[in-house]
Amino acid sequence: MTIPFNNNRLLQLLFVVFISFSSVLAQDTNVVIDSIAVQKGEQIFKANCTACHVMGDKKLIGPGLLGVTDRRTKEWLKKWINSSSDFIASGDADAIAIYEEYNKVAMPSYYFEDTDYEAVYAYLQNPPLPKVIADAGDLLVSEDEGLNISTQLMFIALFLLLLVYVLTSLKNKLKDSLAQDTETITQTLVNQFNLFISNNRNIVFVAFACFIVVVKFGYDSLSSVGIYTKYQPEQPIAFSHKVHAGENGVDCNYCHSSARKSKHSGIPSANVCMNCHTYINEGTITGTTEISKIYEAVGFDPDSRTYISGYEQKPIKWVRIHNLPDLAYFNHSQHVVAGKVECKTCHGPIEEMDVVYQHAELTMGWCIECHRTTEVAMEGNEYYTELHEQLKEKYKGQKITVDKIGGIECGKCHY
Amino acid sequence: MTTTKKYWKGLAQLHDDPIVEKLAQNEFVEELPVEKFLGDKENLSSTNSSRRDFLKFLGFSTAAATLAACETPIVKSIPYLVKPDEIIPGVANYYASTIYDGRDYASVLVKTREGRPIKIENNGTCSNSRVQASVLSLYDSARLKHPLKQNQEASWRTVDSEIVEKLSNIKEGKIALLTSTILSPTTTQLIKEFSDKYKNVEHLMIDSTPYDGILDANLDSYGVRLAPSYSFDKADVIVSFGADFLANWMANEYATDYVNGRNPKNGKMSKHYQLETNLSLSGANADKRIQIKPSEHGYLISSLYDALKGKKFDSRLSPIVKSLKSANGKSIIISNSNDKNVQLIVNAINNKLNNYNNTISINEPTHLKQGNTQKLNDLLVDMQAGDVKALITYNVNPSYSYANSSQFNEALKKVDLKISTSLHNDETASLMDYVCPDSHNLESWGDASPKHGTYSLMQPTISPLFKTRQFQESLLVWTDRSDYLTYLKNFWTNNGIDWNVSLHDGYFNISEPKLSLKNFIDKSSPINLVSSNEIELELYESIALGDGYQANNPWLQELPDPLTRACWDNYLTISSHTAEQLGLLNWNVSNGALNGSLVDITSDDVVLRNVPVMINPGQARSTVGMAIGYGRTKAGKAGDNVGFNAYPFTNKKTITIEKVEGEYEFASIQLHHTMMGRDIVKETTLADYIKDPSSGNHRETYATYKGKLTADKVSLYDEHDLEHGHFWNLSIDLTACIGCGECVISCQAENNIPVVGKAEVRNSRDMHWMRIDRYFSSDMTEELSAEQKISMIDMFSEMEEPSENPEVVFQPVMCMHCNHAPCENVCPVAATTHSNEGLNQMTYNRCVGTRYCANNCPYKVRRFNWFQYSDNDKFDFNMNDDYGKMVLNPDVVVRSRGVIEKCSMCIQKIQELKLDAKKSGKPIEDKDAQTACASSCSTNAIIFGDSNNKESLVSKLRTDERAYDLLDHLNVRPSVFYQTKIRNKA
Repeated sequence: MTIPFNNNRLLQLLFVVFISFSSVLAQDTNVVIDSIAVQKGEQIFKANCTACHVMGDKKLIGPGLLGVTDRRTKEWLKKWINSSSDFIASGDADAIAIYEEYNKVAMPSYYFEDTDYEAVYAYLQNPPLPKVIADAGDLLVSEDEGLNISTQLMFIALFLLLLVYVLTSLKNKLKDSLAQDTETITQTLVNQFNLFISNNRNIVFVAFACFIVVVKFGYDSLSSVGIYTKYQPEQPIAFSHKVHAGENGVDCNYCHSSARKSKHSGIPSANVCMNCHTYINEGTITGTTEISKIYEAVGFDPDSRTYISGYEQKPIKWVRIHNLPDLAYFNHSQHVVAGKVECKTCHGPIEEMDVVYQHAELTMGWCIECHRTTEVAMEGNEYYTELHEQLKEKYKGQKITVDKIGGIECGKCHY
Repeated sequence: MTTTKKYWKGLAQLHDDPIVEKLAQNEFVEELPVEKFLGDKENLSSTNSSRRDFLKFLGFSTAAATLAACETPIVKSIPYLVKPDEIIPGVANYYASTIYDGRDYASVLVKTREGRPIKIENNGTCSNSRVQASVLSLYDSARLKHPLKQNQEASWRTVDSEIVEKLSNIKEGKIALLTSTILSPTTTQLIKEFSDKYKNVEHLMIDSTPYDGILDANLDSYGVRLAPSYSFDKADVIVSFGADFLANWMANEYATDYVNGRNPKNGKMSKHYQLETNLSLSGANADKRIQIKPSEHGYLISSLYDALKGKKFDSRLSPIVKSLKSANGKSIIISNSNDKNVQLIVNAINNKLNNYNNTISINEPTHLKQGNTQKLNDLLVDMQAGDVKALITYNVNPSYSYANSSQFNEALKKVDLKISTSLHNDETASLMDYVCPDSHNLESWGDASPKHGTYSLMQPTISPLFKTRQFQESLLVWTDRSDYLTYLKNFWTNNGIDWNVSLHDGYFNISEPKLSLKNFIDKSSPINLVSSNEIELELYESIALGDGYQANNPWLQELPDPLTRACWDNYLTISSHTAEQLGLLNWNVSNGALNGSLVDITSDDVVLRNVPVMINPGQARSTVGMAIGYGRTKAGKAGDNVGFNAYPFTNKKTITIEKVEGEYEFASIQLHHTMMGRDIVKETTLADYIKDPSSGNHRETYATYKGKLTADKVSLYDEHDLEHGHFWNLSIDLTACIGCGECVISCQAENNIPVVGKAEVRNSRDMHWMRIDRYFSSDMTEELSAEQKISMIDMFSEMEEPSENPEVVFQPVMCMHCNHAPCENVCPVAATTHSNEGLNQMTYNRCVGTRYCANNCPYKVRRFNWFQYSDNDKFDFNMNDDYGKMVLNPDVVVRSRGVIEKCSMCIQKIQELKLDAKKSGKPIEDKDAQTACASSCSTNAIIFGDSNNKESLVSKLRTDERAYDLLDHLNVRPSVFYQTKIRNKA
């Protein structure tokens, strides 16, 4: 179990500043360009082109487009994009060569506004810098938290040593000036310690302090037994929700489709991954390493983009993060559809998590607390029409919360 | 002042009995071996572990356990790689299919979860407990997992090529195909094609319980060897001579019609006479039951025919004759006799009464029984003579169920090529050269025509668990083809059937013209009374096991017989009068369990030794009954050597009984047989009901200062708010309940109820959430005792004795979900609480197992988990088996040791129902509200619903004059209520 958040905000800030500064430096080496156009071009590119082209050297359905602006002129590209078949028919040698090379499949025609075409060209001219590919392990633990605590402790220890040294030397100086015997640091420490323990009150105080610490520590650790908030296990594939749900804005229900229908939210089957990853062979953080694990599981050859026939598929063994005990019945669709609860209410800022951790406590107290305060989504649901009228009369003016319709009865979750 | 007064603890101390002194000195009555062990220096020093070691071990193990408990378990979640479109994990799918195992037929809906069938629901037809339990037989780990060649594992390729080669090489002599009754039109077609390829194929069908009598009689009467179909709902008078048509006779489809014809609301009920030897389920439900000996059976039918012809007749029949005379064309006469002559008279009576084409339909026959025992007898002669070169069996087990099985086994040795297609390596299959295991119904495609013009389709709900192949596919392979599904699909689409619609519905009807038959010919001849003084035996199929095909199904083994209430056994049922004559006894031992005497029974050369005797009220004098279907030897761990095989007695009429030393331990779950004058089951007659619908529904009153009040008017409790939202109620109609026990199995399947085994049932630790109490009437009544001035004590002791021919009532009892629940008040940890929907909830994870609730429950419906019943080798049933566990319902917790459990009113189904309604934004429809027991009830005796929904059926039943609460004087306000039992008697 690791906690991803670093207490040392300062270091994090420094890191971020450093990274952004360096990227600014890197951009400075290029010709100054219209960054707005590039951004727009990127959007158009992602919406229209990524199904067949990658911004790299690799072939997908069509050629990789890194450095295409060096190979072709702007006019050539425009003609090709507008209508490749007409262009080929016009007898352009380069166009015919590409047509032949890619199995005689002409590219579909795209008619962009001039500004849009400019933007796409600007993007093709200024491809994003190849990202530094991080290792999966790096992704999981971006900064090691244990090291930070020990560093802090080390600083404190150093500071204390320094203090002792300064005070001792000060004392020695004073003694020196008074022509008394000087002491070494060790002698001072031993003397001071003896002086300290010679007073019974001190001993009682220390013992009491220790007792309080032990009790507090014991209480905290015992009351956290079985609570796995922040539980963040390492997964077989370093899948980043931040990239998918956050940056790319994929709807939760796209992958976790059964959350609306079933008690299980459902871990998506690999064929759902393959809906997109047939074409997207490279990730933004880990490159091909993690995505290739899906291919290995389902038996997909990214080069020929075909499924390997007769391949013995290997199931992906995800580590379950939210472990509700068997004795408690929980139904996702109840909360998502009937209760209209947002995913993030219980799962937290998923779109910011590279590696998902358990956000909520998942204790019975946590469930009940929510049931006591959440109003039932009765409006507009015919199931509740009659009951709503009855309850409005019974609880005049009060919020009709889940517990008022029996939502905290034992038998609602335990059977 | 000091006192010298001395108190004695008892008379013994006063009289200075030495035992007092002795006991005072000896604290532990049972001597502890402390002295013996510690006093022996040598012994002590020779032990390897000292006291210190012990403490070390203790400390270490405690520390290790603590540390181990701290570790977070890593739970893996493995999704599909390619998820099938129709499966959403957590959501059940239902498929319409058919169950037919050669005996029981039903069109069913199969509930599957994540691709596993877990429950059978009725698809509009009548089913029974064996159909309900068949889903567990799918997961029977004793099923064959691969083909066998000479009892060794073999591949399909080897087996097929060898079989085809050997079959092709048969030039002379015949190939016999011995099957159960075949309902499937495609299978019939396939067998025909098989016969075309291999010349000289003879196809024979046999039924485990033969119906040759009826079939042969119809051949004589109408020229067709078929059995008619019956409409019990149209009959005003039903006269059954021994035929247990509500349970096992012929088709298991009559109960629904029977109960539909007996709805007192219509002011009319059919009059049901049962003349029988053993007390059967039908006899228990009859309005008038007459005990007869098997030897009188034919004579009485003959006498009834005489009576209808206006001749002299047996006086016992006079009420029947009277009833029949006013029911022209509206009666049914049936008999379980397998004697053609008897059935010819039955046909003649039905013809005389004008029943054909009214209540009995011979030109729209049932197809369920087509077996011909004579052909098997002839085959045996041929086999013995070496004329049969190959024998292929399908769905039959003659080495077990044929009356003369040893003769069959002998003859089998003379056959060169022996092939079985059994699912199990059963008694017959284990004698075969090749076993080509058939797939279970739930893994197979198929079709069936149970009745003229009615068809149903079978579709697989799971891929075959083992390397099995359905029989039809085997036939295709042996005729050099494959792909039965395409064959089946083509067969029906060529017949103009919309495949997808029919497969979705599970059944379809084809309006076929009625059979044109020749006119009825009366070939009956009268049968005279043959008096006999010997003890006569009549075999019967038990409600639970039927013909024993599913003997390895622990659910069925533990289903108590509705009448004797015993499970895991068969036995000789005997009347108390005959038992007394023979010196045979039943008695209760110290823990209440039932023991019985043992006897040896002999008939000619057939002997069974050490058979237990069960005294069963209702059994005719000088007769005994015995259930077939037990005594399997190669069924599997649950079914092997349970009870005795009675099949060898099939054709024996009389037996001699000899008492032998020893006693037998039964597992019977009901120890009191009568209601002891209390009105637990409230009962009235149809005549009284028509006069006053609330007749028989008397309520206890208490004397208060306001006058006499019923219990609900003098309550001390605060009321629960049951006005708002739902109020789930269950109504049980005791007139419609026939006691078949289908709901018990359905409940067991739905709620993951464990099987505990015979020994624990005997300890009264059975776990069924619902039981069907059976009460016999007693000759002694309060009126009679007042009349004859019999003392209270004598009256009650006589009331304990059931009549020799008692009236029987059945009463399903589950948790009553009291709204003033006695159990809720006494739970020290609030593990059982009340819901605002009228349910009594049980929270297993809160329960600490004090069992106060069970003690305080007036209905005794709470069950305690004395042991861990899952994953425990001591309880080696389906929950201790990787395959058997696949039947568990994932929505219901498997309870652990030390907690109480009880009927939850299928709260998982209620919650699902509400959620579906909330999600779709619609109010709940009454027909969708179902519990497992209600949905499985073939006679609609159990009705579930929301009483706050004024449109619901149950809300109307709640206010019906017949509705009453069980033990209403306790004022526990149950959510479950009953409708009075109404009998159509004078």
